[in-house]
Amino acid sequence: MNSDRRTGHSLKPELWDQFFKGSRLACARLITLVENFPELVPEIRDKLFSHRRSAIRIGVTGPPGVGKSTVTAALARRALKKGHSVGVIAVDPSSPFTGGAFLGDRVRMQSLIGDPHIFIRSLASRDGHGGLSPSTPYAADIFDAFGMDRIYIETVGVGQAELDVLTCADLVILVLQPGTGDVIQALKAGIIEAADMFLINKSDLPGTESLLDSLRFIFEISARQKTIPRPPILAASALHNKGLDEASAEMERLIHGLIQSGRFQKKKRLRLEGEIKASILQNLWEQFSTLTNAPEEIQAAADDLLKSGQSPYPFIRKISSRIKMETVNEKTCCENRR
Amino acid sequence: MSVEPMKVIIAKPGLDGHDRGAKVVARALVEAGMEVVYLGLRQTPESIVNAALEEDADVIGLSILSGAHMTHFRRVKELMDKNGLGDRLLTGGGIIPTKDQEKLKELGIEKVFGPGDDIQAIVDYIRTWHRSRST
Ligand SMILES: Nc1nc2c(ncn2[C@@H]2O[C@H](COP(=O)(O)OP(=O)(O)O)[C@@H](O)[C@H]2O)c(=O)[nH]1
Ligand SMILES: [Mg+2]
Repeated sequence: MNSDRRTGHSLKPELWDQFFKGSRLACARLITLVENFPELVPEIRDKLFSHRRSAIRIGVTGPPGVGKSTVTAALARRALKKGHSVGVIAVDPSSPFTGGAFLGDRVRMQSLIGDPHIFIRSLASRDGHGGLSPSTPYAADIFDAFGMDRIYIETVGVGQAELDVLTCADLVILVLQPGTGDVIQALKAGIIEAADMFLINKSDLPGTESLLDSLRFIFEISARQKTIPRPPILAASALHNKGLDEASAEMERLIHGLIQSGRFQKKKRLRLEGEIKASILQNLWEQFSTLTNAPEEIQAAADDLLKSGQSPYPFIRKISSRIKMETVNEKTCCENRR
Repeated sequence: MSVEPMKVIIAKPGLDGHDRGAKVVARALVEAGMEVVYLGLRQTPESIVNAALEEDADVIGLSILSGAHMTHFRRVKELMDKNGLGDRLLTGGGIIPTKDQEKLKELGIEKVFGPGDDIQAIVDYIRTWHRSRST
């Protein structure tokens, strides 16, 4: 559909011309395409990959309502002032029941509008298993190739999303607010371990000191302290524009350290490995399920197993043993063709 | 729903009042399976069209109670055309007299909704437009 956007299953060359000439609409459309047409992802990645520069991806996560969007806007404004081109990807959850999504982050980013060096895009999480939209990393790469060198990824820090953002971003800021001391307990262990910076926003509200204390306490008793230094813990008030110059400066220091230490390169490599593995897995499954009638067999086996109450592993071993055979068959058939 | 949910911008241009009505409509569209980018109060035509462009939105819905609907709709439409968004749907709601509705039609804004209209009518209108566009 939308025949102006693509022809059959491939992209119109004009779209690329426009994109590389700096058309913001072409950039927006490419993001829509990776969101809506997974089958176009390889083609888009092929074309874009060599055009990416080395944008830094900064994840901003934390519980709902703590001020992530307001903080993101404040940090983005400071990055703009320093001459960066900024992309913002704001992810909000899709309803698992209707598929709809309320994307409200732009409301807090008003002050940025009109600057040609910023591009804000809201993404619904879609089928990201409760986490980030699967197209988030692709959207970030599109921004990168479009010339943005700072990319903020805002995600609601609940459930899977807060862990997903760790793989998408080079640095992660965890935003909290006073009165959420008990929320820390509920956060996924991973995020406490992996956040690069803690920002207590709304420090104009009471309870900031006690939250600072409990955070420091967590790090005193955590195992993390023994291996890597405690991440910076800062207080700010995005609404009153307090503490954000400090937060922004701290972030620049972290970015500097990230690049100097080689961790930036390592993160990029890990992301690439992850993408390759996920694609292979996807390809293998597609081949396997077209070469065999695995999906039907699995369904039937599950039915039987439920009735018999037996362990699924004998079936798993049996069907898995065919993977090797099918690959061998593929190979011989290709060789025969030659 | 199809694999391709619609993306709708809901905004309230101008300096007037509250955004309760706009929020109610936004929620109803979310319930109907659409992805709604909510912009809120005090938008300018420029900020609305900029958002629509960055979001690659299919639909822009304006909520206007101030009486300045002609100005806002005309300007938003102009900017949409100028920015390559002429093929997207512009619609909205407010207290809009019949004679103004006729003038809006001349601008290419086929339908706007009033306080008496059922929200389902808005959902249906957007869906019908989307279907006719897809074919
Ligand atoms: N008191 C206070 N409120 C704030 C501050 N920063 C943001 N808020 C408010 O907190 C609410 C949620 O902010 P938002 O940025 O949308 O939070 P998000 O859901 O984490 O993205 C809004 O009403 C903001 O105006 C702050 O520093 N102090
Ligand atoms: Mg937000």
